[in-house]
Amino acid sequence: MTLGQRLIANEWSAIAVAIVIGVVGLAATSPAFLTEFNLYVMMRSFCVVLVVAFAQMLTLAVGQLNLSIGALGGLVAIAIGGMMEVLGFPIAVALPIGLAIGALGGLINGLLTVRTGINGFIITLATASAFTGINLGITESIPFYNLPSAFVAFGTARLSAFPMLLIPPVIVALLLALFLARTVPGRQLLAVGGNPHAAQLSGVHMNGIVVLAHTLSGLLAAVGAILAVAQLGSAQPTIGQDWLIMSFAAPIIGGAALTGGHVSVAATALAVVLIVLIQNGMVLAQVDPYWVQFLLGALILAAVGLNRLRAVRAGEA
Amino acid sequence: MTATETLNPDPVMTVADANEAPARRGAFLAESGNLIGLAAIVLIFWVVLTSLRPGFISNFNLFTLSRSLAIDIVIGFSTMVVLATGGMNLAIGSIGVCAVMAAGFLMQGLGLPPLVAFAAALALGAALGWLNGFAIVRSGVNSFIITLASASLYLGAMLILSKAVTFNELPAAVADFGKLRFGGFVSPLLIIALAIGAALIVLFRFTALGREILAAGANPRAAELSGVPVGRVVIIAHTLSGALAGAAGLMLVARLGAAMPSIGQDWLLPSFLAPVLGGTLLSGGAVSVIGTMLGALLVTTIRSGLLVMQVGNFWLQLFLGVILLAAVMLDRYRGKVAERRSLGRR
Amino acid sequence: MRLTVEDIGKSFPGVTALDGVSFEIRPGEIHALMGENGAGKSTLIKIITGLYRPDRGRLLVDGVPADFHSPRDAIAAGISAVHQERNLIPRFTVGENILLERLPRRHGLVDYGRVHREARRFLDMIDPSIDTRTEVRRLSVAQMQIVEIAKALSLEAGVLLLDEPTASITGHEADALFAVLRRLKAEGKAIVFVSHKLEEVTAISDRVTVLRDGKVAAAGEPIASMSRGRIVSAMIGREERVAEIGERDLRDRTAVLEARGVATALGHRDIGFTLRKGEILGLYGLVGAGRTELARALIGDVRITAGEVRVNGRPVAIASVPEAIRRHRIGYISEDRKAEGLILAHPVRSNVAITVWRRIASALGLVGRGAERRIVEPLVRKLDLKTPSIEQGVGKLSGGNQQKVSIAKWLAAGVEILIIDEPTVGIDIKTKTAIHELIAEITRDGVSVLLISSDMPEMITLADRILVMRDFALVGEIENSRRYEPMSRRIMSFIHQGAEGAAENEPNGPEAAHG
Repeated sequence: MTLGQRLIANEWSAIAVAIVIGVVGLAATSPAFLTEFNLYVMMRSFCVVLVVAFAQMLTLAVGQLNLSIGALGGLVAIAIGGMMEVLGFPIAVALPIGLAIGALGGLINGLLTVRTGINGFIITLATASAFTGINLGITESIPFYNLPSAFVAFGTARLSAFPMLLIPPVIVALLLALFLARTVPGRQLLAVGGNPHAAQLSGVHMNGIVVLAHTLSGLLAAVGAILAVAQLGSAQPTIGQDWLIMSFAAPIIGGAALTGGHVSVAATALAVVLIVLIQNGMVLAQVDPYWVQFLLGALILAAVGLNRLRAVRAGEA
Repeated sequence: MTATETLNPDPVMTVADANEAPARRGAFLAESGNLIGLAAIVLIFWVVLTSLRPGFISNFNLFTLSRSLAIDIVIGFSTMVVLATGGMNLAIGSIGVCAVMAAGFLMQGLGLPPLVAFAAALALGAALGWLNGFAIVRSGVNSFIITLASASLYLGAMLILSKAVTFNELPAAVADFGKLRFGGFVSPLLIIALAIGAALIVLFRFTALGREILAAGANPRAAELSGVPVGRVVIIAHTLSGALAGAAGLMLVARLGAAMPSIGQDWLLPSFLAPVLGGTLLSGGAVSVIGTMLGALLVTTIRSGLLVMQVGNFWLQLFLGVILLAAVMLDRYRGKVAERRSLGRR
Repeated sequence: MRLTVEDIGKSFPGVTALDGVSFEIRPGEIHALMGENGAGKSTLIKIITGLYRPDRGRLLVDGVPADFHSPRDAIAAGISAVHQERNLIPRFTVGENILLERLPRRHGLVDYGRVHREARRFLDMIDPSIDTRTEVRRLSVAQMQIVEIAKALSLEAGVLLLDEPTASITGHEADALFAVLRRLKAEGKAIVFVSHKLEEVTAISDRVTVLRDGKVAAAGEPIASMSRGRIVSAMIGREERVAEIGERDLRDRTAVLEARGVATALGHRDIGFTLRKGEILGLYGLVGAGRTELARALIGDVRITAGEVRVNGRPVAIASVPEAIRRHRIGYISEDRKAEGLILAHPVRSNVAITVWRRIASALGLVGRGAERRIVEPLVRKLDLKTPSIEQGVGKLSGGNQQKVSIAKWLAAGVEILIIDEPTVGIDIKTKTAIHELIAEITRDGVSVLLISSDMPEMITLADRILVMRDFALVGEIENSRRYEPMSRRIMSFIHQGAEGAAENEPNGPEAAHG
């Protein structure tokens, strides 16, 4: 393959081109785009979406899906809010417990899926409802506002254009890339997604791997929730309600195979950049914010169409 | 939790299990067993709720219940017809609200009579469903992703066009229709829902099209190789689903007397609850119209029950989630036996 | 390592797959396991490799009872296998696939340098031309098969099971594989070799065990003591009765289906044949030769890119399966009854009437059960279909009766041309003859049959003429004399000629040489 063909065959090249066009276009038409503050705002909104996308990407990798990411995120958000405000737990205690709740929620999803053999769609649809129910039952829709100042400050701190909030997602991305590319459980996860039967015959503990994927997905949903609380400065019970479409959009635009076994950390991250860019462009152009909803749907359809085309072409070559 | 426990002891099925090999369990027995079980659970809820809160069977409460039951049934049907093909439709809420806002605009903005506006809105729902089906069949991508994307697309388009403004000056006839009662508590909406149910029974039991939808859902390759135009059948099922979503939206307009842009956002769970509780297989190829109606009745009963018990609506979601989990475990128990067996023999 | 199977039994609902099977594999031998489709070989292999658990009996490894709960346990006990199904991860490289069971690590991370070095070592034993860094999805079927074998070798297990390892590889590659097996044998490994090809079995094995209907029909007989005839009669049992078709001269019949210079999107080239009215035209070839794919093209399921197809003398362009059925009366029975043939969860009535719903529907689109019954019930009687009622779920019928449902559905549709793909896969011997007689009978009623089969005796019993296919092209056409020995020799000679010719210009040669 020549370099040119490689670029065309590569998942992220189309996204990269779209990003370059978007950046050049926005920079040319809107003077506000390249200001330090706008860049900071963009990178800040990048953080939560990225981690949420990763949460979904992990379940897609193993050939599953997770509709409960948002509901679990909401539950973790109010849990850490409640622990810090009502129970007075220090940050160093509340956050690990929050992460544990996320992982536990994911573990429940995973165990229910493998134990019952039921479609993950229905399982996570049901647990999503249950998690939301617990969230609303506890909070009765009232947010926690009085969070420790150090925590809130972290959400707004920045180094010129770079928000501090960006640090955890970047670490997560690097760890995840390493996990999927170079560790045995990571490879097994992709193997199960790529051909479950083959993985099983090769001695991979299939159920364990599916549970692992769901657990990590829940853990990442919790990371997303913590970042969202830091970003907002308060623990809103509504956190996570709009994560569903985002969580699928980025991995799919990033070329994840819906059937499992093929995901890309880099391409998913680029897809999130593209989504954030579109959102920012809408704001700068002062058009209806509803366009974001519309374009996100269109973008997924376009990406799916493109992936399909690529697969057909590869199949005929 | 009472709900989970009472789902299991299903006398007909337990006897069958004990005495016969699982393979001998007939589809008829499983289905009627499931329906009887479901009806029994609903009955228990009604007896308990009525004895605790006699107001539960007041004419007023029954009327409210019959109106929301009608809507839950039609939402359930909308998902059921797509589940029959082995697919799903996440865009039901978005299609519903598009039909709602279209009807609102036609009546309030253009001053068209309600019947014309409703017919046009139904046609819009069908058209959006057709688009889903067309995209699924043409791209070969699974219906989950397509309808997830189209849900966002349709909702976004509706919000852009309507600016999210409620139409609340509809002709009085609309709200009057919603308030109409027969026999003290039966809403005409419920009669419409039952009529749709009867039509669906005829479709799936007695028509070539309905049979083809089920065949395509059970085994698309076998159906295709037997001459069933699977692509066309899937598109028709999605079109029907869109029209039913539109119908559910319009029924809600009659109930509320207004066309609101927030309609449909909480339909996803109930749309799956009713058919899945009623025994419609997720893998396609089998539907239960009566089961879906009973499933919807259970959902409506729980919702209304929590209300009269003043438990607070906040816990409703938890209840529904747990009930769905319990139901699918039972579903798996019935359906997966056959599936596993055919896999095991390979 | 010594592997002993003691009195193993395994049943699935409605089928007894294995019934008291015992045999022993000794270190330093190649042990052939033979039997017809459905004899229980696959089930036995799945039990030995930990995929299934037996209902009764036990496995002993070096005399110690072993209880495998999963493939992990079997691998850990030193048993490795090449299964019939593809068992590779398409997006992973060749090297990673080979070492997937035990990826080498350094500092806790997978050490890909070592992965490729080690994979190279095992791959070199059979085919040094495959690059370990290629993704498996880019390999040809034959190359994938080689990777699977290398993967099994890499476990350096004491017991190696090979289930039809040569089904899709060329003669040269098979020779390389046999050389490796002999070397492993000399090292004291125990090897189980499953194959349909008698020539291979007699060439390489030391002993042979034959299964029939889930029981042992010959237990570890030395290969020298077993003539070809004895193996075959052990496989098919004494009561073998061959369907009598009788002499038929169909040369003057009109042509109902003709292909001239047909090429397809899947790679068929220059396909030409004529199917006459009431004829059974055989299409023989090895797995992967492109026969099923040709059938698909003929019914409009795969695009035809060049050439001409004529039905009843008129050129046609069939765009879809429904069109093939309704306009041209061509039906197709898939080799994969479960996935593509029948709707197992639905009753006999629906499975047969599916092809006529549209025809018998009233103006309102209503289909009456009575109308269905009037079509289905006479067919059930005619075909002697054993079912408690036509409302019985097809999944609960035996394989033979399922196949009768498939045939009934096409008789209901009134097809004139029926393409039947491997009609007796997974069907026991007695029913097999009944199915053969049924196929012959429908041709006497005027239906023309294109018969696809890898089962040589079946082909020679049934077909009036035989086409031989290799690598998506027809390489021979023979009038069937119905005499087994000369016919099978002639057919195999066509296939081998094709093989030698194709070895020079392997379609995937450039890809492989690239590495």
